[in-house]
Amino acid sequence: MMAASERGAAATAGLIALLLILVPLAGLHLAGPVGLSVYAVNVVGQVMCFALLAMSVDLMWGGAGILSLGHGLFFALGGYIAAMHLLRTAFATTHVLPDFLQFMGQSAFPGYWHLFDSLPFTLAAILLIPGLIAFVFGFVSFRSRVNGVYFAIITQALTYTAMLLMFRNDTGFGGNNGMTGFHGIAGLPIGGANAAVLLTVLSTIAVLLTLIGGRVLLATRFGRMLAAIRDDEPRLRFLGYDTLWLKLAAWCLSAMVAAVAGALYVPQVGIINPSLLDPSVSLEIAVWVAVGGRGGFYGAIIGAVLVNMVKFWLSAAAPSLWPFVLSLLVLLVVLALPNGLTDLRNRSRSWMTDLGRGFREAGRGRPERGAG
Amino acid sequence: MAVAGDAEAGALQPLRLMIRMLKAGAIILVALIGFLAAREQARADEDRSAILGSLCGPGLHAPMQGAGQIMAGLPTASSADLNWAEVVVQAFSLRTLRCAPAGTGYIATPAGMIDAVTLKPAPTAPDDLRSPFPNLRMRVLLDRLTAAIAVLNAPHPEARLAAVSTLAEHSDLIPPGLAEAALKRTQNASVAAALRGLIVLQRLQSPDVSQRVAAIQTLSQDTTSRTENQLESLRADPAYAADPQVAAALDQGIAHVRFWVRAGAVLSLLYNGISAGSVLFMSAIGLSIIFGLMGVINLAQGELLMIGAYVTYTVQQVIRIIAPAYLSLYPIAAIPVVFIVTALLGIVIEWTVIRHLYRRPLMTLLATWGISLLLINLVRVSFGTQNLEFITPPYLTGGVAVVGDFFITWNHLAAIFFAVAAFIGTLALLRLTSIGLFIRGVTQNRDMAGCIGISTRRIDMLAFGLGAGLAGLGGLALSPIYNVNPTMGTEFIIDSFMVVVLGGVGSLIGTAIAALGIGLVNVGIEPFYGAVAAKVIALLLIIVLIQWRPEGLIAARGRR
Repeated sequence: MMAASERGAAATAGLIALLLILVPLAGLHLAGPVGLSVYAVNVVGQVMCFALLAMSVDLMWGGAGILSLGHGLFFALGGYIAAMHLLRTAFATTHVLPDFLQFMGQSAFPGYWHLFDSLPFTLAAILLIPGLIAFVFGFVSFRSRVNGVYFAIITQALTYTAMLLMFRNDTGFGGNNGMTGFHGIAGLPIGGANAAVLLTVLSTIAVLLTLIGGRVLLATRFGRMLAAIRDDEPRLRFLGYDTLWLKLAAWCLSAMVAAVAGALYVPQVGIINPSLLDPSVSLEIAVWVAVGGRGGFYGAIIGAVLVNMVKFWLSAAAPSLWPFVLSLLVLLVVLALPNGLTDLRNRSRSWMTDLGRGFREAGRGRPERGAG
Repeated sequence: MAVAGDAEAGALQPLRLMIRMLKAGAIILVALIGFLAAREQARADEDRSAILGSLCGPGLHAPMQGAGQIMAGLPTASSADLNWAEVVVQAFSLRTLRCAPAGTGYIATPAGMIDAVTLKPAPTAPDDLRSPFPNLRMRVLLDRLTAAIAVLNAPHPEARLAAVSTLAEHSDLIPPGLAEAALKRTQNASVAAALRGLIVLQRLQSPDVSQRVAAIQTLSQDTTSRTENQLESLRADPAYAADPQVAAALDQGIAHVRFWVRAGAVLSLLYNGISAGSVLFMSAIGLSIIFGLMGVINLAQGELLMIGAYVTYTVQQVIRIIAPAYLSLYPIAAIPVVFIVTALLGIVIEWTVIRHLYRRPLMTLLATWGISLLLINLVRVSFGTQNLEFITPPYLTGGVAVVGDFFITWNHLAAIFFAVAAFIGTLALLRLTSIGLFIRGVTQNRDMAGCIGISTRRIDMLAFGLGAGLAGLGGLALSPIYNVNPTMGTEFIIDSFMVVVLGGVGSLIGTAIAALGIGLVNVGIEPFYGAVAAKVIALLLIIVLIQWRPEGLIAARGRR
């Protein structure tokens, strides 16, 4: 673990304070024109979803030393399920079939869509369907002791295959156009200020709950076992622990958190399409975590917020510059700050000397904690 | 001399007589031939007048009857008749045919009226001429007539070939004997072949059973799916039900053709699978070597492939400028250039980035992804996003038909040979050279190899360069087959992973087997369930296989 207890106190306090400021700021909009614009509230909400997603990856990577390059799949799954519910509720008021179904020549929703009329069913599905897929995939992978780089690239292949599948129109989920045309959520029109505030508040609460829950979880016996898997899995196995079920539990939990993030994200952007399943999206999530620093969730949140803020800003200011900035950021972090930005803060010396040391250590091939 | 001359003169008396008689005979013969020819000409003129009478006839039916008369006469027509028919048909089509009320015809030319029977100037042509209008059905007939005349009389083989294919569209409407007559009048092999095809088509409709059976048998020799369709459509013919001989020949012919078409389909599936597999192999081989040696996955491998294709393009452009005459040799000239450029790029990547991350393999994933992003965008900025246009050299164009619809295309064959050469070359390098020995040693046990004095860092650098160079050559091999654009590498990288995971890390032979297997699975499934299903099934197969052999098909020896 990252010496979380002593270092974490200040960071937790600061982060929670930041979040607690963001939520009322977003809420101020309700009171009048004092607060943020709808766009800004929306951006905050989206960034919170990304932070949640980054935490789900960090649970595996920082917690158990397993890098997933396929969390875009679970994120998108949550999003698709939420989108199905939103389309059903939109249909209940407008009675207009979504474009992609009309395009496929259907006159009504396929039967199983009716299940998504009910909010409790949808909420359960958001957790269970990605959880189940994660379970099956994790079981076959962990059972045959696929780990490290191997596991990372197989998860990448998984999300790539899912992307190809979802790009097809006859898969039945909107093909390359995806699903859009949502009407409202909880009675509030989608795209309006109230819905944006509601979703942003929900996302922020989800981040806070996951942060607290995750910290508690890492401090339990389960969390310590995960850390042991990260540091030396063969030894743990040799001592008689069945690491399969430990890894599997963390993996499914992580997938569910990612799915919740996706379900909160999709109503905010108003569309879901298979581009979320592109392997580069999943790689970008890992970059957020690497930038912020692995383990303990703070880094994941900070990384997701920072990288995405830069991305939002650059996408508007200089779109063609973003890939260069991202790639150079990746190389800088990987080479100079092996543990991300938390590395800097964790040290007592000035940042500049620190950076120099990072370079030197990288040069010596400093061992990576865990990961084979 | 004079005496001898007199004696000779006496002896020659009977000979002179004979010559005189012969002369007289010849004159009589010429007169007879002239008489017969005149009669023939008169008869031909009579025929021509009759045909013109029909063409100039009233209503819709008479002109079509006239066209039918011309068509029926074509197989036995002389060259003169053919020339006449050509002129008249053309005149009718172009509406320069003029008809007198009496049924005699004239043709309007820039030089004045000519008689439509003799084609001689006719200054005495009457004034009340009308020009018959070819209606839609007549036009079709005229087109067919034009083609039929061209088959017999066109000066250029290309024109005759085009005419044959026009006629073949309705082989049942050609008069019997036309194709045979045309066959006698041509020396061109491809025209003759086309005509033989036409004859077979015609005989398929022949009332003579033995001719039909022979035609079916001839047709069955050409084992393509087109023939299969042709034969299948003959089953609908009433003669198939009526005549057991025809039915038997047809069934046998279909069975024969179908067998070879199936065989051809299987072969072309294999061929396409092997070709796809060799492309996969070229993109995976470098990945496999690097992964085996250093435990590092190079996510920029696809981009090295892309760079290889772009270097090939640059070589092509440079040759176009400095030595346009040798432009078609650019793929060969590009081989060393591509290898050196991409290998150097790989060495630079290893030296600046990968070297610092050997103990942190997960971080190398991110780092190499960052490199790939950088490379894609650098190429995008400098070359643009559009697909590059490559000149396909003549020796890579086309191919050869083998059996059924199986067609060996030279560009795919070149890719296969290229992959085989790369496989053998790399295998030889790893097995026979001291550098190969060192690479194998470091792959098996890095620490021990270091202990006995192998400079592992140097070996890493060389191996990374080798892997990068091989990826670049893969891009070269791909350039005549695939679209070359900045993002082309991303399409290959995941499939290449699959190959490496399936084949076993660091095993060259495993990589080759896995590449072939995945190539065949992809190609084999694609026509039935689509490309996406092929990818899904390949992934599922790999996950299942990992259950059974976690280290891949061929596990590398040694400990890492």
